[in-house]
Amino acid sequence: MFKKVLIANRGEIAVRVIRTLRELGVPSVAVYSEADRSSLHVRLADEAVCIGPAMARESYLVIPAIISAARVTGADAIHPGYGFLSENAEFSAACRDNGIAFIGPSPESIQQLGHKAEARKVAMKAGVPVTPGTKDCVTRKDFKKAAEKIGFPLMIKAAAGGGGKGIRIVREAAQLEKEMTMASSEAKAAFNNGDVYFEKYIELPRHIEVQFARDTHGNCIAFPERDCSIQRRHQKLVEETPSPAVNRKLRSQLEKAAVDLAEAAKYVGVGTVEFLLTQTGEFYFMEVNTRLQVEHPVTEMVTGFDLVREQLLAASGEKLSYTGGHTVPVNGHSIEHRINAEDFSRNFAPSVGRVEEWLLPGGPGIRVDTHVYAGYNLPIYYDSMLAKLIVWAPTREMAVERSRRALAEFKVKGVKTTIDAHQLIVESEGFKAGKTDTGYMERLLTPAEPAKAP
Amino acid sequence: MDVKTLTKLTKWMETTDLEEITWRNGDDKISLKLNNNPEHSHTIASTMEPVLSTSIGIFRFARPGKTNHLKEGSAVKKGQELGVVEVGKDFKSVTAHSDGLLKIVSIEEGKPVEYGQPLFFIEPR
Repeated sequence: MFKKVLIANRGEIAVRVIRTLRELGVPSVAVYSEADRSSLHVRLADEAVCIGPAMARESYLVIPAIISAARVTGADAIHPGYGFLSENAEFSAACRDNGIAFIGPSPESIQQLGHKAEARKVAMKAGVPVTPGTKDCVTRKDFKKAAEKIGFPLMIKAAAGGGGKGIRIVREAAQLEKEMTMASSEAKAAFNNGDVYFEKYIELPRHIEVQFARDTHGNCIAFPERDCSIQRRHQKLVEETPSPAVNRKLRSQLEKAAVDLAEAAKYVGVGTVEFLLTQTGEFYFMEVNTRLQVEHPVTEMVTGFDLVREQLLAASGEKLSYTGGHTVPVNGHSIEHRINAEDFSRNFAPSVGRVEEWLLPGGPGIRVDTHVYAGYNLPIYYDSMLAKLIVWAPTREMAVERSRRALAEFKVKGVKTTIDAHQLIVESEGFKAGKTDTGYMERLLTPAEPAKAP
Repeated sequence: MDVKTLTKLTKWMETTDLEEITWRNGDDKISLKLNNNPEHSHTIASTMEPVLSTSIGIFRFARPGKTNHLKEGSAVKKGQELGVVEVGKDFKSVTAHSDGLLKIVSIEEGKPVEYGQPLFFIEPR
């Protein structure tokens, strides 16, 4: 195990990592910007050093400053948390070049799996299903055949496009030729390149992901899937495990896909494979996150693992704590609610200020991961997450009830929060029934918004 | 004891850590006690300006191959480099913000420093 670990992050995730280090008896070093002097991670760590001004690009994102901080404090490993430098191959390489262990995958793994097209190639090689589509661009001659093979509805995507631009959805064969002509000329006008390709359009998909951990000895575990379908503008709000849409057979298929992918990439550390799950139960590879994720606690709640500890074991060359197979049993149900400093009644506008009152829920099956306390001044420079409320219960129904109870106990004054949005979710019929998809939140908000306006 | 000696003695006491003193000369005896109530006496009004570290890293008085003869009491000019902070392969400059006298050097060569740490104090002119 490491002698001393520096956490290159802030907020709740820095606090989370410090807690595991303390349990393992490993001294911790916090780094902080001038705006975070009074943050909880600074108070909890064994040592703390100021690395720069408030702006992240002058502090938390400065690789030489963080490497220097490790050097002057004598830390032999760096935990990157999530966000900031956690998926930065250059940072992973800088750690290695300076003889410091990076608690995450190698720069090669980050590069390979962080690049969408490269990751898709790895997935295909490992036999993991990817969204059906044409490998190359379609031509005037072969487009009808290509479309038949994929089936409808399908998406016509501009080869030179990106960020959702240059996409047309075709629902039936009769519209194909017309849409194809329009998409091509649009692409030509927008990107000066008329090449297009086809991809299957997945209607109302669920976001399903599988957490995995792999050590240098080749031990690999895939954890029961997480369902992160409750999103707003691609930001996850609620995550749960197991998914109400996944049965035992599908679970073992998902877990096998994750293990195959981790093995194929010779990945060391913890990571997550994200999939789209169709309404009819097919799943397709989306991307890999080469870091610990915000929603990792739900997996910890239903499996009893400490994923930060597994990261430390893998990064220090030790074996994972469980080497008895690729899967682990799931016990009960867990839901996470991301509580952000946003004004739900004003279309999630950011809220800043001093947290005057901070009363956390408690009792059976409740866990709150946070860096906030009463009297804390929210810095304006970073993300808006205040806390993660995580509940556990023996069944999903009981977990939803527990969420409702815990959200009602959670009292915050001084700043606006998304607690009300979460109450709306847990009381909605679709969520209670487990019938959600990535468009669910948008639909839930649409009728309510005009009525809520002041 | 005459007033002059008493004033001298009191002044001298203020320069020491002594709080109480008893002086005897034959039948003459005098006890002095300084009013060192911290609420009153510890408000230090300083006109000195601190020079803060511009980065986390290792402090050097001069860049590699260079020397710096700076010491307490030296005159410094606004913008003058007082030292550098070594951060990786980079050196971040630490400069004086005003003309003046370098009153205090609170850092040693090769010591780790963090961002914002006071390294020097200058009495501006």
